[in-house]
Amino acid sequence: MTDPDTILLWGLPSDPPIAAVAEPLRRAGCPVILLDQDGVLDTEMTLNVARNVEGVLYLEDERLDLSMVKSVYLRPYDSRELPSVAGAAENGAALSHALAVQDMMLSWSELAPALVLNRPSHMAANNSKPYQALWLESLGFKIPPTLITTDPEAALQFWRRHGTVIYKSVSGVRSIVSRVSDAHTARFDDIASCPTQFQQYIEGTEYRIHVIGDTVIASEILSAADDYRYSAEPAKMLACELPGAVAARCRRVARSMKLSVAGLDCKRTRDGSWYCFEVNPSPGFTYFEQATGQPIADAIAQLLMAGPPALQWDPARRETPRLR
Amino acid sequence: MIIILASRWDSTAEAVAARWAHRSVEVMTPQDLCVSGWRQHLGACESDTSSSDVAVVQRRLLPQREITGVLTRLPWVTDGEVIEVAAHDRGYVATEMTAFLLFWLSRLKCPVLNRPTPTCLSGPYWRAEKWVHVAARAGIPVQAARRDTQSESAANALPPTTSVAVTVIGRHIFGDAHPELLAQSRRLSELAEVALLTVRFADAERGAAFLGADTFSSLDDERFKEAALEYLCKTPAANQ
Repeated sequence: MTDPDTILLWGLPSDPPIAAVAEPLRRAGCPVILLDQDGVLDTEMTLNVARNVEGVLYLEDERLDLSMVKSVYLRPYDSRELPSVAGAAENGAALSHALAVQDMMLSWSELAPALVLNRPSHMAANNSKPYQALWLESLGFKIPPTLITTDPEAALQFWRRHGTVIYKSVSGVRSIVSRVSDAHTARFDDIASCPTQFQQYIEGTEYRIHVIGDTVIASEILSAADDYRYSAEPAKMLACELPGAVAARCRRVARSMKLSVAGLDCKRTRDGSWYCFEVNPSPGFTYFEQATGQPIADAIAQLLMAGPPALQWDPARRETPRLR
Repeated sequence: MIIILASRWDSTAEAVAARWAHRSVEVMTPQDLCVSGWRQHLGACESDTSSSDVAVVQRRLLPQREITGVLTRLPWVTDGEVIEVAAHDRGYVATEMTAFLLFWLSRLKCPVLNRPTPTCLSGPYWRAEKWVHVAARAGIPVQAARRDTQSESAANALPPTTSVAVTVIGRHIFGDAHPELLAQSRRLSELAEVALLTVRFADAERGAAFLGADTFSSLDDERFKEAALEYLCKTPAANQ
């Protein structure tokens, strides 16, 4: 019999955010079920959708009625990359089964009346940085002068006009943010083969701001590197308080994107302007939690324990706001 | 100029362009993203330069302000669209192109059929379960969407060939079905916020069960092409 307050975690047990959220939930005595993605070949599922959304997960020794799930925290990896599936034949039964479970879980996650952190379609805006930038700009954050081009000459002019320029991927694929240098000009002709994003480098202090429900937890990042994530010298991080208006803007961004958990990458310039570069809908928050001691996992666990808000999720409501 | 954004392998796109030949119309494919000339500006101080934004269509540069409408027949860019790229880079390039097109289409002020969402370049990508759930919540009789991993081969199976299709394109609704089904199709297009939608019912009679929908149309019917052209030629406000 499934507990009616079950909290479902979907991902890999070794994934630091999953492990970090599971810990306070178990400490609080919550009924937690971890759907171990790597056990996908031993997982079966049924889904039956009309006006109601019904589903059952059959794990190795457990039957989970999904209508009993109060909250879900999901961080699934691409099924093809799972240890138990990697190397499986492209048209083989193992990969087909893994992809079927993944797709059915994603479908259920879109529709379940539970609190879902976060629904897959709401996370999708992160797949395009300039699309997200339009959104962030409409909500009051500054966006650096940006050029997306296949024209080497235009890129060169942009670099000359703005002095210090960085380039990065257009999509959500993780890329190392790098400054354009003289050495890059020899490869500028490659730009013609795919739109490339150039952005004026903004001097200032970097922040990672986690929004969890209404809670805002900000970390200041001290690093001289263009991309602190790949710096040889580890970045120093400090817990900090944001100006009230900035915290409110961060909440507004997360709410607008229907993200109950979000990690905003921001920068404050010397004149007090705030730029936002990206909103991560599935933030790897443990990196910041370990460095600052801020209780991010606890805040996520609290949100999961509270369950869905009184106003139930309506799948027919607009998925994304219209951009101006 | 009207742009038809389509796969390089989409012969229907060429047929639609031929039908609309009395207008200025061109087919854009992901191959056009591999041509020097695209320039898109955004962010602080760049808004004054956005009037100089340039697109590339059929390998020719096109000032963006000359685009008056876009028919999107491409849900996303796949590896198969960029076969000229080294095999190990195709996935990345296709992902980058999809991300770029989402941004590009999203900020066009002209009519776009369908407007993109982060899940699909032409309207929302909704699985069968979501269509059925939304229809049921709107009071439309439905055939439940059922799947299980032990008989997954049946998943997303096409509806019976005897099903009836209703096509919504802008203010037009096409389909030999009871008026109630036409009204339900209109309601679904509003809920999905799309102007182009194909809806399938179990039969043409009143009370027929909703089977599924998708945001694409083959546009194989000449009336569909005319309705799509009418939508694209209207001002954005007229299409609200």
